[in-house]
Amino acid sequence: MDASFRHNLAVIDPLSLFRNGTSLLAWRNLAHDRARFVVTLVGVVFAVLLMGVELGLLVGFARTTSGLVEHAGADLWVTPLGTTNVDIAGRLDERRRYEALAVPGVASVDKLMAQFGFWKKPSGGTESVSVIGFNLATGKGAPWNLVEGSVADLQQDDAVIIDKLYADKLGVKGMGDTLELNGRRVRVVGFTDGLRTFTQSPYVFTTHSNALHLAGFADDLTTYLLVNLKPGADPETVRTALKERLGQVDVWQADAFALQAQKYWLITTGAGSALLLAAALGLIVGIVIVGQTLYATTVDRLPEYATLRAIGAANAYLYKVILKQAVISAVLGFSIGLVGIVAVVALTQRSNISLAMPLWLIGVLGVLTLLMCAFGAVISIRRVISIEPTSVFQ
Amino acid sequence: MTIAHLDKVSVIYGNGLSELFALRDVSLSIAPAEMTLLLGPSGSGKTTLLQVLGCLMRPTRGDVSVFERSVRGYSERELAAFRLAHIGFVFQNYHLFPTLRAWENIAIVLDVQGVPREEQRDRAMALLEKLGLGDRASHYPSELSGGQKQRVAIARALSLSPQLILADEPTAALDGKTGQGVAALLHDLAHREGCAVVVVSHDPRVEPFGDRVLHLEDGVIRDDVRRDNRG
Repeated sequence: MDASFRHNLAVIDPLSLFRNGTSLLAWRNLAHDRARFVVTLVGVVFAVLLMGVELGLLVGFARTTSGLVEHAGADLWVTPLGTTNVDIAGRLDERRRYEALAVPGVASVDKLMAQFGFWKKPSGGTESVSVIGFNLATGKGAPWNLVEGSVADLQQDDAVIIDKLYADKLGVKGMGDTLELNGRRVRVVGFTDGLRTFTQSPYVFTTHSNALHLAGFADDLTTYLLVNLKPGADPETVRTALKERLGQVDVWQADAFALQAQKYWLITTGAGSALLLAAALGLIVGIVIVGQTLYATTVDRLPEYATLRAIGAANAYLYKVILKQAVISAVLGFSIGLVGIVAVVALTQRSNISLAMPLWLIGVLGVLTLLMCAFGAVISIRRVISIEPTSVFQ
Repeated sequence: MTIAHLDKVSVIYGNGLSELFALRDVSLSIAPAEMTLLLGPSGSGKTTLLQVLGCLMRPTRGDVSVFERSVRGYSERELAAFRLAHIGFVFQNYHLFPTLRAWENIAIVLDVQGVPREEQRDRAMALLEKLGLGDRASHYPSELSGGQKQRVAIARALSLSPQLILADEPTAALDGKTGQGVAALLHDLAHREGCAVVVVSHDPRVEPFGDRVLHLEDGVIRDDVRRDNRG
C-alpha cells in the first residue's frame, strides 16, 4: 500500500471517531437517509421541548406555591387547623405564640401574616394581592431576591415591597410611588425580582404590625407562627409536643408544609395533572416518531441485518446497532431541544410565567429522552429478531 | 480429512400430501483445497444444500458434520458462532453494506468477531490489496463495478480465514470476462489458501474452474465428477 493512500485513509478513517463497528454502522444508517434522520431529530426535539416546558412549568409552579415557606427560614410552622396551603389560611391568637415558646426545644417563635387584599391602581380598578407581614427584627418571612431598596425601609408605617414582575400589573412605576391597599395608603420602598405567585395575587411585603393594620386584624392576631429550634432539638419531637400543647392548630415541619402547599395547588386543582399529562403526551409523541423512523430505517437495511445474521453475528450485535441509532437520535435531539428550552426559559424570565429548569430536571429530561428513543427502538429490534438469515440467498 | 460431511440428509418442506423434498438422502463429503461446483436446474436443491452446509438450515433428516463434529445438537447461538469462526459466505447480490466503504465492509465482519479495532483496518487493507482492490478501499459499493463488488465480498468472506467458503451464484450478476475472473479467483483461493470452496452456479463459464462438479436434480446428486484442475 502506498504512503499517500495510507495517509488518505487516516484522514477519512471514521473508526477513529467511533468506538466500534456498531457505532459506525448506526451512524451511517442514520446519516445515509438525511431526510428521514431530520424527521427523527425533529420528533425528538419536539418531544424534548414539550416535556421540558411542561415539566419546567410544573417545577416552576411547585416552587411558587411553596416559595414563601422555603424562604421563611423557619424549622416548624404553626398554622390554623385545616390549613391546606400557605396562601389561604385563617387566623391564630397571639397567645399561642407564648404557649409555643414554653415547649422544650423551641428557641424562637415569630408571627407571620398572610392575607389577601385589594390593591387600587392609579389608573382605576383593583388587583388582588397577598399581603405578607413579617417580624422586621428577626427577618423571618422577609422578602428575598431584593434588587432595589432595603428591608429596613419597611420600618416606616406605610412602606411596602413588591416584585418587579408585577409592577405594571399593580400600576407601580418606581420607588416612592404611593397607592392604596385595602383603602389605606401604601408607599413602595423596594422591589424584589422573580417572586412569582401561583395564585397570581402578587406578594406585598410589609411589617407584621403594618399588615395587621392593612388587613384590619386586631393586634393580638396573626396567621402563622414560625418556630425555630434550639440546637440539637429533634424537629419531629418538638412538632409533636407543639401539637399536644397548642391543640386546635396544625404543626408542620417546614419541608412538609412546602410539600403540602405544592400538592394542594398542583394536584387538588388539577394544574399539575394537566402539566404532567402534556409532558406524557410529549413522551408518547416522541416514542411514536422515533419508533416509526427507526423502523423504516431498519426495514431499509433488512438485507444487511440478514447478511450479518448469516455471517454469524450474535443477536446482541444487531441490537447494539439499533439501540445506538436510538441513542444517537436521543443525544442529538436532546442537545438541540435543550437549546430550545434554554431559549424558552430566557424568554419567560421577564414574565410572570414560572418556568424552572434546574440541573436535576435537565438530567431527568435526558434520561426520559434516552428511554423514549430506546422504547422507539423496540419494534425495530423485534423485526430484526424475526429475520431469517437464509433470506440472503433469495 | 473432510471439511464437511453430509450423511443421508433430507430437507422436506410442508407435510402430508404437500410434502416436498428439497434434498433427498444426500450424502456428501467436502474436501479442503478443492473447489466444488454445485450445478443443476432451478429448484434442484443447490441453494438448500449450500444452506445446510453453511449451518444456516437444519436438515429434516440425516446428519451434518463440519470439521468432523456433528452440529445436530448446536443451539442457534452456537451455530452462529460456528459460522462466524469457520465459514465464509459470498452472495449473488454481494450484500455489501451500501453505507460503508469497501474496507469498512470487511472491518465490520472483523468487528463482529471481536478483532481489536486497531487491527481491523490493517487486515481489511491487506485483503483488498491481495485481491487487487487496494486503490478502491475508500470507495463505497455504489462507486465500484460488479466485479469489484464481488471481490470485496470475497475479501469479506476471507477476512476471518475460514476453512469453508460457500458462494451462491457469485458470477450471476457479472459479465462474461468478469465472471470468469471471479471464478478463477475462487479456484485460486481454494488451492492457495487450502480452504474448501463450494460454489452454486448456473453459469457454464464457471464449470471449467471446478475441481469437482456435482449435478443435482430433484434434490438428489445425479452426477459427481472430479477433475484435475490444479495446473
